[in-house]
Amino acid sequence: MIAENSTQAFQWTYNENDQEFALHGSLRPQKAEELSNCISALDQSVSNVSGKFYVNVRRLVRMNNVAFHAIACKILDLVRGRSDLDVHVTTSSVVGWATRKFAVLETMSDKITVSEYDSEFYPGQSFVEDSEFIHVLRTQTKLTWKHEKDLLRQHGLKPGMQVADICCGIGDFAVLLQKEFSPDRLVALDHSKSSLDYARQVAADFGIKGIDYVFGDAADMLLEDNQFDFVTCRHSLQVFDRPELILKELFRICKPGGRIYVTNEKNSHCLGEPRGESIQWTYNEVAKLWHHFDMDIEIGPKSRRLLIEGGFEDVTIGSFMVTSTDGDPQGFADIIASWKNLFAGKMASERGDDAAFVERFAKGFDDHIFAALHPKGYAGWPIWVASGRKPL
Amino acid sequence: MLQMDLDIGDFCSNWAHCDLLSAYLARMVSHNRLDSLLFSNLYSSALNELLETVFRVHGKSGKLECSVRRQGGLDRIELVFPADEDTFRVYSEAIDKLSGKDAEKLYLEALFTEDEPDASLGLLELGVDYGARLAIDRAGDGRMCLVAELTLEDENE
Repeated sequence: MIAENSTQAFQWTYNENDQEFALHGSLRPQKAEELSNCISALDQSVSNVSGKFYVNVRRLVRMNNVAFHAIACKILDLVRGRSDLDVHVTTSSVVGWATRKFAVLETMSDKITVSEYDSEFYPGQSFVEDSEFIHVLRTQTKLTWKHEKDLLRQHGLKPGMQVADICCGIGDFAVLLQKEFSPDRLVALDHSKSSLDYARQVAADFGIKGIDYVFGDAADMLLEDNQFDFVTCRHSLQVFDRPELILKELFRICKPGGRIYVTNEKNSHCLGEPRGESIQWTYNEVAKLWHHFDMDIEIGPKSRRLLIEGGFEDVTIGSFMVTSTDGDPQGFADIIASWKNLFAGKMASERGDDAAFVERFAKGFDDHIFAALHPKGYAGWPIWVASGRKPL
Repeated sequence: MLQMDLDIGDFCSNWAHCDLLSAYLARMVSHNRLDSLLFSNLYSSALNELLETVFRVHGKSGKLECSVRRQGGLDRIELVFPADEDTFRVYSEAIDKLSGKDAEKLYLEALFTEDEPDASLGLLELGVDYGARLAIDRAGDGRMCLVAELTLEDENE
């Protein structure tokens, strides 16, 4: 359902399967009666529920006290009037006021719990937030930048544009963008506070000014509509279980006529010689491993379809290969070594892989490193680049 | 410093003005913060509660002035608006509640009252939940001045 006037719009949805009532948008009514349809829907939703009832306010960006009073008192009425019912409120860390405000409900009844929860949007986040991974992320950016510097121009990035780098990670790509393209405005958003802390520190240490590093959920950003000429989102659709939600947001914040630029991998196409067969086997297994964690490391060539289905026009796609012959074979080998540590280490362990599998799995990475450093060898890591224009 | 002047009657002609003004000013003052999006969202929420309070409780006619300024990590919002004695008393009582030891208890009572929420709930929230320092004073022309000083970003975070 949608309720809307000139400045405020909010929605509510009920997912019967999850016993979850969700509120989205901006909720600043003048009178509680303006919420009567929403409260009725809440009443109706909960009428057939026993046990735990979830109220999800993760995507509720604004809420005044009139709305809070109406919703909070209804929740209190529910738990006080129904002995068979508990209520759990889920808030978002992205919306600064929400957790603090709703947390007071816990003080009113022990049948109400409140928690801040965003991580389910990002199945891979706990893996890439590992501080050991920062070095490899920097090396990856260094090696891909050699290709992307020119590709970005071909895909329409020009100096003086309003640019957003969504899922900016540790922010090193944004620094390179700032130096190379001098955007008029550069917003770099990520969902990892530790990565943003690192990004801000690096920018300060390097004397880089003009990058606005912001905390946010790429699937539901606080950024306003139609703001940016060029929006980048690199290696991120693949770590997200619902990439279409991110694309929808990228579309929203992009100006009509502006472009979205995404890069993604197809890890099973990583290659190397000698020992190509072992390498091939391992990277096929990488794809299965990521799939286990609801991530699609094979998304690269699917980017064109995703952009077209996301409403973009003039969609172009291509690929480039980061290789051991680009001038930094040791850097390439370092990347593979970190993949080995992560994929054949923490991730394989969490999946419950047995020792024999892990040994063979790890060997493929070792063989890829061997190929990268072999004087007559060759190792490659393919990346797909796609961009599309938001219709005017 | 940013300042906006408008007639109180014009401001109160549409409830949405609170949302529009708070969102606009929050966007204007959110640059050069640790996190502009988080700051803007919080600032908008705080300012909106102040504006909604003034929307509900003000004198009959005159000018509303809204000025905002920043000093380091401290943001100051100043609202000057028409106020007769009854109006001034509402704000004065809210400030008194905040200066007492049981401010948090009074805030929770106001937040979960079974009646319509009191017009001063927004001020209590700012004082208790946002840690704002609130002050009022009489201004000329039958108006009063409401000042809120807020620290919305923890530089150590």
